[in-house]
Amino acid sequence: MSLRFGILGLLAEEPLHGYEVKTRFESLLGGTWEVNIGQIYSTLQRLERDGLVAPADDRGDRGKLPYHLTATGRRTLDGWLRQPEEEPQQLREEIYVKLLLAGRLANGNVERLLADQRRVYLQRLKDLAGLERRSRDEGRDDLALLVRGAVLHTEADLKWTDAWAEEIRRAPKRGGRQ
Amino acid sequence: MTVMVELTDVRKLYNGGSPQAAVDGVSLTMQQGEFIAVMGPSGSGKSTLLNLIAGLDRPSEGRVLVDAVDVGSLSETELARFRRARIGFIFQFFNLLNNLTVLENILIPAQLAAVSPTVALDRATALMNGLGLAEKQRLLPGRLSGGERQRVAIARALINQPLLLLADEPTGALDSHAGEQVMERLTELNRRGQTILLVTHDAKLAAACAGRVITLSDGRVADDSRLKASPEVAPSDILRLRPGEAAP
Repeated sequence: MSLRFGILGLLAEEPLHGYEVKTRFESLLGGTWEVNIGQIYSTLQRLERDGLVAPADDRGDRGKLPYHLTATGRRTLDGWLRQPEEEPQQLREEIYVKLLLAGRLANGNVERLLADQRRVYLQRLKDLAGLERRSRDEGRDDLALLVRGAVLHTEADLKWTDAWAEEIRRAPKRGGRQ
Repeated sequence: MTVMVELTDVRKLYNGGSPQAAVDGVSLTMQQGEFIAVMGPSGSGKSTLLNLIAGLDRPSEGRVLVDAVDVGSLSETELARFRRARIGFIFQFFNLLNNLTVLENILIPAQLAAVSPTVALDRATALMNGLGLAEKQRLLPGRLSGGERQRVAIARALINQPLLLLADEPTGALDSHAGEQVMERLTELNRRGQTILLVTHDAKLAAACAGRVITLSDGRVADDSRLKASPEVAPSDILRLRPGEAAP
């Protein structure tokens, strides 16, 4: 999972203690992933157990210990960085299930829900466009690219609601209980 | 608030064998200072709607009021005068005259409307400065990038200080960077009070610029959404990389 590799990647730049890892990780992702400090420490401990990171010093308060990447850690990180992601597409949003069920239970009458959902996506596009512009203004072109990804996903969501609405309009019976 | 555009039960039929409605019973009101985007698939009636508001086309039924003028009742001469004085136009393919310089292109509508040359030149200079075109004013359009050409077209559309700016797919022929610059110019114009009606199939463009998005489907208004200005909130309120792991 990517918190693990996120930590390895940050430690590849320089040794960091737990709290530094947290702030750098959140800043890397422009605040789109808030991670609690407990997760950081437990992940660091697992990484240490697996021999991928090591504390720079054995003494003192463990919370203030800087960790560095081991040679094994570096190899593991490099391997991960080269590997394309092959996970199945994840459509976790509840709206998919909601529309399917509403279609069955309301006898295909989901136009209202589709219209409301569409507005949510339009508003999201506006908010994301604002975030993308702010990222560029702050010199975070990498973050703007992340936001662009979210924009493209939202555009796809919008097209998908349109396709659903179009399907209903062309064949009113379909989408209901079959 | 002042009503800028008012459509009442507007239909536009085209005769091709059997009459077909390109716009089929549209009623809507647009206030002064609004920025409306009209979306919809090809053939949904977007361009016809724009042409009706611009006075380029007359409604078959219903009434189109722009700045309280019943557009459908005007003669051809009156319509031409109405368009020159009240409407600014931006097109997808810029429609610049290639044998005239940037400045000359911008001045055309002012000359047609018999604006005094001094006033017209002052306005053109201010527009070119605002749109980053001052250095380019003596060039022919052929020497400009697509984004620059569209900015020339924006200056030309604004030279007569129109009440209403109509934009038909203004970023459709531009790469995404130039498109975004044009988009920002339009947003800025609206912030300073320009009423704008934008026709586009680009959802991001529509949502980013406009405060209201109207979606057409088969010549009818399928949706009319008002969007809130984007607040300066934490990124995680807009986008979460891992929703399950964000703050509770």
